[in-house]
Amino acid sequence: MALLSIRNVFKSYFLHGKRIDVLRGVSLDIEKGSLVSLIGASGAGKSTFLHVLGTLDAPAAGEVLFDGRSVFSMNDAEIAEFRNRTIGFVFQSHFLLPEFTALENVAMPALIQRRERTGAYTYARELLERVGLGQRVDHRPGELSGGEAQRVALARALVLKPAVLLADEPTGNLDPATGEGIHQLLREVNRDLGITAVVVTHNETLARSMPRRLRLAGGEVSEA
Amino acid sequence: MHSAERRTVHRWTFIWTGALVALVGFILLGLAISASEAWAEVSAALGLSLVGWGGVLQVFNAAVLVPAQSAMGGAGAQGSTGMLLSGTLAWLAGWGLIAAGIRRATGPGEGASPAAGAPLYPRLARYRDFYWSTLGAYGGGILLAEVALILLQTVLSSGVPSTELGGSAQNVGGGLSLPPTGAFAISLVVACTVAFVSGFIGASRAQRLSLPEATIGVLYLGLPIPIVLTLMERVPSLQLSLGYRLREVTYVAGLLGRPELAYWLVFTALVLALVLGINTGFIAAGSGRVDLKLGFELFVARRHVAVFRPSLLLGTLAVLMFGIIPPLLIYFIIRSAEAAVERTRIRALGLADPLAAALDLNRLKLREQSPTMMMTALSVGGVGVGVMALIIVLSVMSGFEADLQQKILGTNAHAVVSKYAGELPEYPKVMESIGRVPGVVGQTPFIINQVMIASEGNVDGVIIKGIDPQTVGSVTDLPSYLLGGGKLEILYTPEKILNRGLPEEDDAASPEPGAGDDIIRRSGKATKPAVLPGIIVGRELAASLRVVVGDRVNVVSPLGTELGPSGPIPKSRAFRVAGIFYSGMYEYDSKFVYILLKEAQNFFEVQGASGIELKVADIDDARRIAGQVVKVLGGYPYRARDWGEMNKNLFSALRLEKLVMGIILSIIIVVAAGLIVATVIMLVLEKRKEISVLKALGVSDGGIVKIFLAEGLQIGVAGGLLGLFSGLAWCVFIEKVGIKLDPEVYYIPALPVRIEPVQTALAVVIAVLVTYLASIYPALKASSVEPVEGLKAE
Ligand SMILES: Nc1ncnc2c1ncn2[C@@H]1O[C@H](COP(=O)(O)OP(=O)(O)OP(=O)(O)O)[C@@H](O)[C@H]1O
Ligand SMILES: [Mg+2]
Repeated sequence: MALLSIRNVFKSYFLHGKRIDVLRGVSLDIEKGSLVSLIGASGAGKSTFLHVLGTLDAPAAGEVLFDGRSVFSMNDAEIAEFRNRTIGFVFQSHFLLPEFTALENVAMPALIQRRERTGAYTYARELLERVGLGQRVDHRPGELSGGEAQRVALARALVLKPAVLLADEPTGNLDPATGEGIHQLLREVNRDLGITAVVVTHNETLARSMPRRLRLAGGEVSEA
Repeated sequence: MHSAERRTVHRWTFIWTGALVALVGFILLGLAISASEAWAEVSAALGLSLVGWGGVLQVFNAAVLVPAQSAMGGAGAQGSTGMLLSGTLAWLAGWGLIAAGIRRATGPGEGASPAAGAPLYPRLARYRDFYWSTLGAYGGGILLAEVALILLQTVLSSGVPSTELGGSAQNVGGGLSLPPTGAFAISLVVACTVAFVSGFIGASRAQRLSLPEATIGVLYLGLPIPIVLTLMERVPSLQLSLGYRLREVTYVAGLLGRPELAYWLVFTALVLALVLGINTGFIAAGSGRVDLKLGFELFVARRHVAVFRPSLLLGTLAVLMFGIIPPLLIYFIIRSAEAAVERTRIRALGLADPLAAALDLNRLKLREQSPTMMMTALSVGGVGVGVMALIIVLSVMSGFEADLQQKILGTNAHAVVSKYAGELPEYPKVMESIGRVPGVVGQTPFIINQVMIASEGNVDGVIIKGIDPQTVGSVTDLPSYLLGGGKLEILYTPEKILNRGLPEEDDAASPEPGAGDDIIRRSGKATKPAVLPGIIVGRELAASLRVVVGDRVNVVSPLGTELGPSGPIPKSRAFRVAGIFYSGMYEYDSKFVYILLKEAQNFFEVQGASGIELKVADIDDARRIAGQVVKVLGGYPYRARDWGEMNKNLFSALRLEKLVMGIILSIIIVVAAGLIVATVIMLVLEKRKEISVLKALGVSDGGIVKIFLAEGLQIGVAGGLLGLFSGLAWCVFIEKVGIKLDPEVYYIPALPVRIEPVQTALAVVIAVLVTYLASIYPALKASSVEPVEGLKAE
């Protein structure tokens, strides 16, 4: 059975009494351990789709099943735990917490789980080394460049080794070389840790390098 | 989801006709009610229906009335019944028409949405708005708490056996005989716990705050008891049927002087406990499981509001202790001096190494504070000021109260035993019985009466008391109040009085005071040197009568008469001032005089004594011991009143004053809580994005609430502690250094201070509770931020 299955999901926005249908009955299966790229024009609804997948946004109708279980029928505690343990999210902009250092930001999901602090910091430091930020652990987000912040955000998404990684343009702010490094990392975690990843990107070469490619257009998702 | 808009359509002809018909019905109803002169009942019922119980009561009423009416079968009532019926019908029909005139209509839609037929998003489909079990928990909880309070108070405190309350079968043997205030404290704690627990259970089962359930529960099940208690004072029939059962409850409430105020305060406390329980239940278990851990939330909260920093705490403490101007001045002087020194240093450094200078400059910048920081400091200061004021004022008022109590108990007995009517000729026997009651440490017989006292200079109405000098000291402090080293025993030897009245040098000059010697001297001053019984007067009275020790006064009793040469004249006796006392209470020093019990018996023709004054070991226990004494004496016709009862008005006025003062000063804290609400709301707005991110990372709603509650609580705790320190410091200052009072007005040389631990702790607890309650709303707002909301707000 598919790890994630999306069943007939609808999502609309309302603005000045007008309805904007962003997702019109999207149905889709994503297998465990797959690496999927999602492309689509700006404003097509890629971020919206990713938010629904990550339970951050509620669809108007339809269901998202994780391992056969409907995620939107979980109660508040279960959904919080699902977001914490199962989903790793990289937002379109980094969204790090400004009062905390890079290290604390990366360790945050573990701290939310009330894991022991030193252990969490050790692994977080390792991950920061991995994304090339070993020298920036004590910087606050305001003291990082955009690309660095994005890499910290990626480390944060990976710190609990989630089952699913949802990345919204993780390489949007990076120079080609660093971007390629990030892609390499994504492929590695997919291969080594078996993390299922859905990556939104505008980068055609990256998209082509992924085993499965999806295109979002006209509120519907199709294989590209 | 259906996107078609719904609109309200008004059909005005319906509405106007409906209004007219309803008006006609209303007039008819009014006429019918006027005809049967039932306005009082109707308005009472309408008033009750505001609380929500009116309808139910009316149904009961009708159920009782209708059979009774039909049994009577009165023909006279027929006319107004018809009018009543038609009026009601017209009234209902009118409103029906109005309702029909206003309709919700489906506007022209955009056609079916593409999602039509797709399954509804599951959480929405499962959503429920109202839980009967929660209503039961909230309403039942508050009712249970009230009943528990009343029952416990009655059973625990002295006097009433539990069987008198009806239901309970076992007899606890006249209650557990705790002092009423102690019993009240225990019952209140238990009742608050009951309310808290039921709130907790209700909220954790519903997993939401359930405001409608809470409101309905409190209104319908919580209000009736305090309303009945309040009405009891006014409605004689209620008083008759309930008063004697609830007398322990009314007694405690009556200590305040305004029982209804006490009822509503207690009710408020219970509601607060319920609200706290609801909130705690929601936070702990609202997200689906009980989670009382705080580590992570505090970690985040402390980064958001860093209250516990030495500089902030010391600064606020300085402001509380010395006012706002001096610390600010000092702060700015130090700050600018420091900055000047720092800049000069950096400039010197910069001439050598620009990069090192840049580093230092950067460090200097980092020290500057954010506006939220300022708001936080202000809130902490506000709470601190409130707590400080509360502690100082309450301590001073307690000081006054303690002083007054000490003075009243110094001159007055703790309890007085007497008969309902008549005298106590058998007082020695009675005293013997009383002496066996445990807790009684002293007793003395007395006779009391009102008389006129006249000196050569003036005349005044006073209360005269016949005392037994040997035992009076075991009950009151009168012996120690005598000025100039006087002794009460001098009353036994009136012949020695004159000698004391002489000027000092003469006294010293004649080492052997003899009556003859006095007579010679006195006769030289053309006064009649007779040996007269002694009388002790207060300092103020002595001043107004212009008498000193040894002077003669006449006491005239308006009641008794003697047969004089020209018919009956008021009874009068001459006394000689044997001593002057000073208690410090103007009331006593100007209104009381003391003579020997024997003299009083003769003068007023009293057999024995009018009563016996008692001193007890523990003054808070006086009420119980007085009851015990009456029991030992065999009840009627004996009775005993304790000091609280005798000075009820004075002490209840004091307590009321203190309570009102406390409430007024708590308003400062409430205002400060407003500041906290503002600060936390600012924080929530500032952190919207972060809340979203935290939620996306897996923090539950309860976790977010905890974070922001912790932020508000930090402010409250910091402010409360600062207020505690500064308040105690001020109290110690007032006590040690002293603030002089005008002795003519206050009778106390300096402002009295008495720090009562319970009351002081209560001030801090109230502050922390208020800030906690104040942060609930912003915290809930924070938790209702949806993850995507904050992520979009860039
Ligand atoms: N809160 C909102 N209210 C109204 N319309 C919205 C809202 N959020 C998004 N939209 C609209 O929904 C559409 C989809 O937005 P979304 O962010 O998913 O696009 P996207 O595919 O991620 O675009 P990009 O590649 O630029 O990030 C856009 O047209 C946008 O204008
Ligand atoms: Mg996007």
